[in-house]
Amino acid sequence: MKPVKRRMKRRPPVVAILSAVVLAAVAVCAAGRELLAPHALDQDVYLGVVGAGVEGHLLGTDQLGRDILQLSLAGARSALAGPIVVAVGSMVIGVLLGTFAGYRGGIVDMLAGRYADLLLALPSVLLAIVVAGLVGRGYWVTVAVLIVLFSPSDVRLVRGAVMEQTPRPYIESARILGIRPTRIMFRHIAPNIVPIVVANLLLNVAFALVALSSLSYLGLGVPPGAPDWGRQLADGRALLGDNPLAAVVPGVLIILTATAVNLLGDWLSELLDRRVVAR
Amino acid sequence: MNGAVLAFALRRAAATLALLLALSLLVFALLYLAPGDVARNLLGTRNVTPEALARIRELHHLDEPFLAQYWWWLSHAVTGDFGTSIRTGGQVGPLLLDRTGVTAATAGLAFLLSVLAGVPAGIATAVRRGRPLDRVIVAASVVGVSAPGFAVGLILLYVFALGLGWFPVYGTGEGFLDALWHLVLPAVALAFGLGAFVVKLTRAAVIRELDQDYVTFARGRGLSERRVLRLVLRNAAIPIVTSLGLMVAYLFGGTVLIEVTFALPGLGSLMEESVLFKDIPVVQALTLVVALVVSVTALAVDLSYLAIDPRVRARAVRR
Amino acid sequence: MTEGPVTEGPVTEGPVTPLLDARDVRVTSAAGVLVAGIDLTVAPGETVAIVGESGSGKSMTARALTGLLPEGVHATGRLELSGQAYDLAARTPWQRIRGSQIALLLQDPFTSLSPVHRCGEQIGWALPRAGRAAGVARLLAEVGLPSEVAGRYPFQLSGGMRQRVAIAAALAAGPGLLIADEPTTALDVTTQHEVLELVAGLQRARRMGLILITHDLRLARARADRIMVMYAGRLVEEGPAAEVMDRPAHPYTARLAACDPPVTHRLPALPTIPGSVPRPYAVSDACAFADRCDLAVEACRTAEPVLAEVAHRPGNSGHRAACVRPSDVRPVAAPLLAVPPAAAVPPEAGLSPALLTVRGLTKRFPGSAAPALDGVDLEVAAGEAVAVVGESGSGKTTLARCVVGLERADGGSVEFGGGATGPRRVQYVFQDPYSALNPGLTVGASLAEALKAAGRPRSEVSGLLDLVGLPAAYARRRPRALSGGERQRVAIARALAPGAEVLVCDEPVSALDVSVQAQVLNLLSNLRRDLGLTLLFITHDLAVARQVADRVYVMHRGRVVETGPVGGVLGAPAHEYTQRLLASVPAATRAE
Ligand SMILES: Nc1ncnc2c1ncn2[C@@H]1O[C@H](COP(=O)(O)OP(=O)(O)O)[C@@H](O)[C@H]1O
Ligand code: SF4
Ligand SMILES: [Mg+2]
Repeated sequence: MKPVKRRMKRRPPVVAILSAVVLAAVAVCAAGRELLAPHALDQDVYLGVVGAGVEGHLLGTDQLGRDILQLSLAGARSALAGPIVVAVGSMVIGVLLGTFAGYRGGIVDMLAGRYADLLLALPSVLLAIVVAGLVGRGYWVTVAVLIVLFSPSDVRLVRGAVMEQTPRPYIESARILGIRPTRIMFRHIAPNIVPIVVANLLLNVAFALVALSSLSYLGLGVPPGAPDWGRQLADGRALLGDNPLAAVVPGVLIILTATAVNLLGDWLSELLDRRVVAR
Repeated sequence: MNGAVLAFALRRAAATLALLLALSLLVFALLYLAPGDVARNLLGTRNVTPEALARIRELHHLDEPFLAQYWWWLSHAVTGDFGTSIRTGGQVGPLLLDRTGVTAATAGLAFLLSVLAGVPAGIATAVRRGRPLDRVIVAASVVGVSAPGFAVGLILLYVFALGLGWFPVYGTGEGFLDALWHLVLPAVALAFGLGAFVVKLTRAAVIRELDQDYVTFARGRGLSERRVLRLVLRNAAIPIVTSLGLMVAYLFGGTVLIEVTFALPGLGSLMEESVLFKDIPVVQALTLVVALVVSVTALAVDLSYLAIDPRVRARAVRR
Repeated sequence: MTEGPVTEGPVTEGPVTPLLDARDVRVTSAAGVLVAGIDLTVAPGETVAIVGESGSGKSMTARALTGLLPEGVHATGRLELSGQAYDLAARTPWQRIRGSQIALLLQDPFTSLSPVHRCGEQIGWALPRAGRAAGVARLLAEVGLPSEVAGRYPFQLSGGMRQRVAIAAALAAGPGLLIADEPTTALDVTTQHEVLELVAGLQRARRMGLILITHDLRLARARADRIMVMYAGRLVEEGPAAEVMDRPAHPYTARLAACDPPVTHRLPALPTIPGSVPRPYAVSDACAFADRCDLAVEACRTAEPVLAEVAHRPGNSGHRAACVRPSDVRPVAAPLLAVPPAAAVPPEAGLSPALLTVRGLTKRFPGSAAPALDGVDLEVAAGEAVAVVGESGSGKTTLARCVVGLERADGGSVEFGGGATGPRRVQYVFQDPYSALNPGLTVGASLAEALKAAGRPRSEVSGLLDLVGLPAAYARRRPRALSGGERQRVAIARALAPGAEVLVCDEPVSALDVSVQAQVLNLLSNLRRDLGLTLLFITHDLAVARQVADRVYVMHRGRVVETGPVGGVLGAPAHEYTQRLLASVPAATRAE
């Protein structure tokens, strides 16, 4: 059966719009952190931990007397910047290596395959913990580690998609016409795997957000004292009795942001899929 | 036939062994990856005297070439001798054994929960594609996939342990039932994300099968809907088993965070402590053990194809 | 022409209550109407063929009658089965109907059986538990398979055997009516013949009704008592098979029949139907065929003609057509062109030197037991058209791919005008028009790139389009806005862009409907004449080979078993395999 083309009935993508709104809000906080949360790091040790609703501290404070609201707004930056860099970085590696491996085959493919096998045999979060813990504790070092750890699955993904295109007549025609391999790879094949790449890019952003906050939850990645949702959660663990919002707010923020990115990714991949089917 | 199947199994096992060997090299290299002098790293924070450094050098054959050192380490590791922990000064092997129980119980419980809930939910949503139940469960599974286990764990702790007081807050408890009781919240927190993955994968696999011609033909010749569903599930079993195998790797990443959150003395929290302490022998041992478990699972999944996919069986025989 | 097939079952009229009586079956999707209300009756033992080109709504009709429409597609209408009436729009108790009353057999035996269940199991599900094994063995025997097939998996069987298993499974619950949707389209010609014979035999033995859905008019004529012709979701003509075929009362039927090339002789040019089939929901208040009909008058464009008895002819029984001028319709005779067939034939092979020489080509794919090519010799002279025919798996495509360098042969040589195959002097046209063009590039961009690769300017794009009979404005379109035939034209234009001397065509028309197939074949023949193009034409269809080629090579299991001028080989085949191939062509069995 041919796939159903639902062209007529198109409901407005409520879920996608809501997700985009959430992400836009996070992005605004990330970009305007200095303006929106100028007092994020102000400690008020005399005040100690206070619960929600205290004047001047809508959501209370943490153990250092920092305002939870300000801290949470400020945490948006490390929640967005790192994951995006991780997703883009690993996808760049994935597209370059995966396209070559998938189209060319041979030794490049063999090496790329073994590299992926090796890294995928270990849980990436676990490996990230080990490497980030042993190598260094900087945020961007951790991001770089995650790029390396995320790339094998992207290489596999792109390679698979390229290998699906390669035997198609339009690619073989190009070969018979004597068009250069690099041109075939990047002008003919690459545009046709964009849907897969884009959808996966977003899913990777969500996954990287979870991974990065996991690391900072364990005290790896962001330096101590920096505003970060994962770290806030770790600190808030001890405060569940005094000000539960110290843990609940960043927890909900992580879940909300990751969910929004995932939903947007799902929607986008469905949309792009339909495009591809339609043509 | 049986000989060919055995040959297939052996070939797959050999490939797994090769992978493990490569991984062990990678794991051994961890020692060198850590910044600073290897001997110093191995000494940790104990008083660093030139004699102590020399002793460590000798003990770990640090003056020999890299591969010789690797061989020395590996030959001991396969007998269960992973050296001594920098932090505790004790043997690494017994330390691991000591911590394995809690992790196995939590992870096993979580795996069971997520499969028992996830597979039926995935099937139900696939069959009712596009209906309200499907939408709700799919939305929930997106949240599940997006939520880090520790965040879920903290929320569960807050609500069910601190708020409602139904479950203990921390620790492992005494006796079997009490221990199980203590593990419920951690297992649920771990199973939340895992189950969401299972739902997504099961749903996708079943939907793919439902769209196949053989389903239309089965209906077209009058087979009952129950029969058709069994037919579909039998076919969907192949991708579902594959993804369940992948889950095991995911489980190990999650268990570190869950054990830290619930203060459970398992392998995961051991990993966290050792990483923070740069207790390299322990980290090496743990990583190798995880690699072993994950690769053996992958091998088991591969071999299970022999039972569930006649095409794989035939190919194995033909070779 | 001989008369229609002799059937033992009663024909339409008569006292017998029909097995199935469907009224005003209408199928709609979100896009609009897909099947615009058709009536259909089948008597016990009767074969009704539904014919039409792809997208005409044949499959949708079959699905509507079995309650198996895809998601988002709905049916209305009334269905009467053995005296019991059902409303298609309401909840129909399909569980009681399917299997025991109607069974649906699908086209592709490779996908219609579950890959992980043994054949015996799959057949047995519809049987009562007690005596299942015996029942399975009996059914297998009925479809001419040994009982050990019960223990095999589908992937261990050939296509023909799988379709037999599927037939056994479909008949397990003893349906009174079998709906077979293109049951042999995915099979080889010789297998097709056997499977159709099997179905006919079973039908006779079981006095079963049969709805045979096919795009092949000749097959319909050879197998059916009655033919229903569908066009753009409408029933445009129906009646006794011989009547409809010999005295068509709808211009579409007449012209469609004429598009089908004969295997017995070569036509100077194939009759075609200009234009393409409209979407069923794009037609309203007009005859759906009006834009392509040369009999069209004003009345055709103001209202949709209703299906009416073709009354003026003597002795017709239930012959109906939806045309305002049925009496003006004539069967389309083979076109009488001024050019005698000989003129289309280029210089005799052997006179001009061989342009392409293949010697002792061998190729074995890793993991396969038999070689794909087992020492193939082939020669093509400049300006000549050579066809390679054979069944699937005989090595035709592998040969073609080795010639253009898409595949590396294990042994032997491919030489081109004395030297090895030169770059861009040989080009290739693929079977599937839908993946032949990059979906992301416009037609113009695709052609410009091909030109550029050969160092020719972009400005030649419109000339290329003109060459293949497409307007220059098509350069701005993307492949998705093109029909299958148009895509294939663009693919040909692209192959011509570098000034190719030899065109290797691998089944270039087998994915196309006959009317479009005729257009593309005519185009290739014109190009040959105008550009002096040399053709190596791969096809499984002997009739197509008859029209295209000067010489033919017959391949079987990686070897050339017979070769010679096309008239000689197809007229008086020497090899047993060639004879078998020819005997399986429905046309050959009918048009003595
Ligand atoms: N799943 C579907 N949903 C909606 N429209 C469909 C679907 N499948 C086919 N169609 C449309 O229905 C029409 C008839 O298709 P079909 O019955 O398959 O034709 P045929 O069997 O004669 O080739 C075509 O216009 C086709 O595009
Ligand atoms: S109704 Fe008119 S347009 Fe339609 S087929 Fe008849 S003559 Fe042609
Ligand atoms: Mg069809």
